[in-house]
Amino acid sequence: MLEIRNLIASYGPVLAIRDISFTADAGKITTVIGANGAGKSTLLRVISGLEPATSGSITWQGHSLLNKTPEAIVRLGVAHVPEGHAVIASLTVAENIEMGALFRRRAHKQDVRVAISEMYALFPRLEERRNQLAGTLSGGERQMLAISRALVSRPSLLLLDEPSLGLAPLVVEQIIATIKQLCISTGLSVLLVEQNANTALAVADHGVLLSLGSVVADQPASLMRADSALRSAYLGY
Amino acid sequence: MDTALTTLFLGTTRGAVFALVAMGLVLVWRGAGIVNFAQMGQAMFSTYIASSLIISGHGYWFAFATALIAGALLGALVDVAVMRPLTKRSHSGILASESMRATVPVIASLGILGILQSLAGMLWAAEERGFPSPVSDVAVKAFGKTAPFTNFDLFIIIVVLLTLAATTLFFTKTGMGLAMRATALNPEVARLSGIRIGRVRTLSWAISGVASSLAGLLITPSANLSPNTLDLILIVGFTAAVVGGLESLPGSVVGGFILGLLIAVVNVYDAPDDVFLALLIFLLVVLIVKPGGLFGSKRVRNV
Repeated sequence: MLEIRNLIASYGPVLAIRDISFTADAGKITTVIGANGAGKSTLLRVISGLEPATSGSITWQGHSLLNKTPEAIVRLGVAHVPEGHAVIASLTVAENIEMGALFRRRAHKQDVRVAISEMYALFPRLEERRNQLAGTLSGGERQMLAISRALVSRPSLLLLDEPSLGLAPLVVEQIIATIKQLCISTGLSVLLVEQNANTALAVADHGVLLSLGSVVADQPASLMRADSALRSAYLGY
Repeated sequence: MDTALTTLFLGTTRGAVFALVAMGLVLVWRGAGIVNFAQMGQAMFSTYIASSLIISGHGYWFAFATALIAGALLGALVDVAVMRPLTKRSHSGILASESMRATVPVIASLGILGILQSLAGMLWAAEERGFPSPVSDVAVKAFGKTAPFTNFDLFIIIVVLLTLAATTLFFTKTGMGLAMRATALNPEVARLSGIRIGRVRTLSWAISGVASSLAGLLITPSANLSPNTLDLILIVGFTAAVVGGLESLPGSVVGGFILGLLIAVVNVYDAPDDVFLALLIFLLVVLIVKPGGLFGSKRVRNV
């Protein structure tokens, strides 16, 4: 279980998160939705250790994640796919995936090999392009690669930031379906940040709605989807 | 014909050393975003250590190996003791602004150069000393003719080519090499992948220290050793790195060889006084024609 209590954090000089508390169940997809500037991306960056928190607490499966480096947090099973198809353009597809497994290569040599081949099974298009530079991939393929880079570390919690950004609806659907499948088959927990609330709520188990750095709703995704007052007030549709 | 061959060999030998210096600069630039002006100061220091060992009766190869290890340790020390604390305090005082954050480490590297040079002056009395070469530096004679190169020239070229091959293998075939490339290209994604970028950066400084110490050991037999001898080598190495695009390891190596040949041609066919003029003109032409350097990275366009 991911437990966030009274979290306060700034993004540069801006107070981006003012007192957020919620929990996300293990093995489920929890989506964090809200308009631009609601603090969604900052939340993920604080969880993965890229940004410091001012106060509050974050625990994953009993381990505190605050005041730890991103390098240490990945080792606790929390993998972050930041916004914008974060791959390294001048490395090949294979190198990008291998990079995600580097820190396990000594202790789990066999399993790393298995994990890498699982990624190619998950996204066969990456296998076809394994020796191409990541910079030559299409947007959708890059997102698949960014997700593979995170999944190959065998995380228990996946932080996904706007996977739909700039992608065709069909590609988004395919990627989201793959993630959902993974949750069911492996017990992976997902914290999905989305601006596209419709897509996110359709796939998620639970929804957390942020506005200006605070939680305004925290309920099952199906309820949130049905709440038209909430939608028109905060999501504008 | 003989003059041309001599020029070619002189240029290649010197170029090999410049390639090492440029490679050292590019490693730190890519790894830490710092142009390390102290680099040849570090090399001078480790060469003095080798020289002292040889004077006190140790063998050349023992001194050679010790100097390389000293170069690695000194490089790592510069990072851990100076550069890391400087970048850590990035949110306070003078380091709060972006431009100062880029400038301060470079100024610090100039400070380290000054400290190393004065320290060498104090420790070794600043006297110029010769430095031995491990093999003969008299022109090779074969079939009754004098070849345009010495055994030491061949030694330099072989050592540098082996070093370049080892570096290439390290970067392309090992996990640590991949970690170093990833850290240089995108530190954020590297950290999220679990790469401990602090340690990787320190390793870049250490490898750069080894490369430049090797350059120092190879160039001093033909130049004599004093606290300032390697300053000019740094300027040429830096020019080579910029000509190669500053970001690219192969570019820096090619840049080193090009400059070596250029300097040899000017030395032999014109006058040694014109070397720096020729360097500057060449650098200007490259920067005007290809502002990103000969091997500058073409930015991948994001759609």
